[in-house]
Amino acid sequence: MLETEELRKIFKGKTAVDGVNLYMDKGESIGLLGPNGAGKSTTISMISSLVKPTSGDVRLHGRSIIKDPTNMRQVLGVVPQEIALYEELTAYENLKFFGRIYGLRGKLLESKVQEVIELVGLKDRQKEVVTTYSGGMKRRVNMAAAMLHEPEILIMDEPTVGIDPQSRSHILETVRELNQKKGLAVLYTSHYMEEVERLCDRVYIMDHGRVIASGTKEELKSILSGEETILIDLDRQHPKLFKELEGNKSILQALETEKGLKLIVPKGSRLLGTVFQIAERHHAQILNVNVQIPTLEDVFLHLTGRKLRD
Amino acid sequence: MKSVFLLQWQRFRRAPILVLAMFLLTVVFVFFIAGIHSTNQLTVYTYSHESLGEEERDAWLDMLNESDVFHFEWMEESEARNAVATGEVSLALQLMEEDYRILLAAEEQTRYIVDNYVNQVFMEELRLREIENSGVGIDFRSDVTQAMEEPVLTVTSSSIEGVDGSFIHDERLQVLFGMTLFFVIYTILFSLMNVAEEKKWGTWNRLIVSPLRKWEVYLGHLLYCFMIGYAQIIVVFLLFQQVLGFDLGNRYGTMLVIIGCYTFAIVSLGMLLIGLVRTSQQLQAIIPIVATAIAMLGGAFWPIEIVTNDIMLLLSKGMPIFYAMDTLKGAAIYDYSVLDMVTPLSFMVLFGVVCMGVGINLMERR
Repeated sequence: MLETEELRKIFKGKTAVDGVNLYMDKGESIGLLGPNGAGKSTTISMISSLVKPTSGDVRLHGRSIIKDPTNMRQVLGVVPQEIALYEELTAYENLKFFGRIYGLRGKLLESKVQEVIELVGLKDRQKEVVTTYSGGMKRRVNMAAAMLHEPEILIMDEPTVGIDPQSRSHILETVRELNQKKGLAVLYTSHYMEEVERLCDRVYIMDHGRVIASGTKEELKSILSGEETILIDLDRQHPKLFKELEGNKSILQALETEKGLKLIVPKGSRLLGTVFQIAERHHAQILNVNVQIPTLEDVFLHLTGRKLRD
Repeated sequence: MKSVFLLQWQRFRRAPILVLAMFLLTVVFVFFIAGIHSTNQLTVYTYSHESLGEEERDAWLDMLNESDVFHFEWMEESEARNAVATGEVSLALQLMEEDYRILLAAEEQTRYIVDNYVNQVFMEELRLREIENSGVGIDFRSDVTQAMEEPVLTVTSSSIEGVDGSFIHDERLQVLFGMTLFFVIYTILFSLMNVAEEKKWGTWNRLIVSPLRKWEVYLGHLLYCFMIGYAQIIVVFLLFQQVLGFDLGNRYGTMLVIIGCYTFAIVSLGMLLIGLVRTSQQLQAIIPIVATAIAMLGGAFWPIEIVTNDIMLLLSKGMPIFYAMDTLKGAAIYDYSVLDMVTPLSFMVLFGVVCMGVGINLMERR
């Protein structure tokens, strides 16, 4: 249904997006994963016809949208990263306006407004001005505004940034429901791994403007099928211990986490004993050890050598 | 387009303070500067030099008081000097035998207007006296008066300037036109900040990725700003004409066209400013600078006719407010013909088209 071909964007000599190819089928849920500055937002800006690519093409049902984005705009809903609402108006007034610009009028507009406002759980507070809402509530209205015209494709650019867990869960559940029950195709960008794992069928991992890996979650994880992850909780940070483990040739990758360390090691390498010995030498107290199968985060770490939230 | 336009009104209803404040400021300024004068006459405290006899003094006063604009009130020198010193009046006139002096507290526009008029009266009178003294005839003055009353032929001429290079100064209309056109710059430019803020909030992008065309989004905003500015000028003019009896003449259609051209020019100027600055904070900072500069250079605060500096006069020709003041006075005071108005109106439209084109281009490039 939607595909990009060698999409490239150069801003003042700096390449923000470099030859991105991706596709999305009807009703599919796609995740675009990458750290800040990876080029996700620029990519979706080009897909949503907001920014013209320096080169490459975006096609909807085989037709380029670069020259004529009219068809794309009719079927597209965009949830921007920022709260793109008129804050002096109520949620109801905002939604009415955004419905009108998609050609909805009269009773149809009213019913659509009520439908989406119920979907995001703000029916009781729809007549209050947006400035009085919490960040999470604003994000929910932000999402509702993109769904009024029943789009075929919903592009969501980090829609859960800076909100409370309850609103976050509500938004994720709503998107999941729309995707699974109504067949809405979703292109979801985030640097929250767990959101992408929960929502998306396929994932594109981006870094430095390029897609460095893509596939289903299982396919991506299979990149690390020969590895396992050891999570070690420590009493405090031990930089010298980390440095020694990082230099250990048997350990594929080492990463400092909030609680201690994350090590990616070959499956069945039986390195725990060595790790305990090194920790002992550095007077580090190990509080907990957990060996698990790799996550998408581990895949990203493996591919880029960086954490997603770096 | 209609949705975007109506949305701006909806937002205005929620936050009308700014526009209403500008409207009230205009009314208050015009009322206190011009409206409280029940007559058009400006009182000039006048005293005489000791060399001037009482009869001679009264004769000069009578001649000077033939004006509709000024009232020359005689008083003792000490009183007049005291009034100037305490700031009660900004100037006083000293009559001498065949000359005069102006006592000034501060350099300001009234000085030029008074000087212009007094100089004209003295020149005319002294010229008559010179001819009488040359022995042409004792009855020369009465002959001239009679000839003036029953001229051999009558030439009607219209000009921007009044008789003998002077100009007709109507203090009340100068203040009304000047202040209204000045304050409406704020109303329009601050209303246009919605465009800059929409870009900051991200709602602009939301509109761009919708089926709305870009020109519809622009037009919705611009039309709103145009209408709010246009309405403000008309309401202020009507208020002062109907309630305080300001004489705006009866060329209402012409005035509507002038106001339209001016409002368009200012809306376009706003688009240029938005194109030039990067943030709404920067825009907020430059609006007062631009508005005041335009008003000062364009003759909104004082009659442009009293400005003598060539550079200032040249700069004034680049300000839309100069042409708006000129044509509004032309319609209300000088009875300009349509032909007289074509050039200034065309300039305002041209100014608007250029600013709009450059402004939108700059915004789109960003």
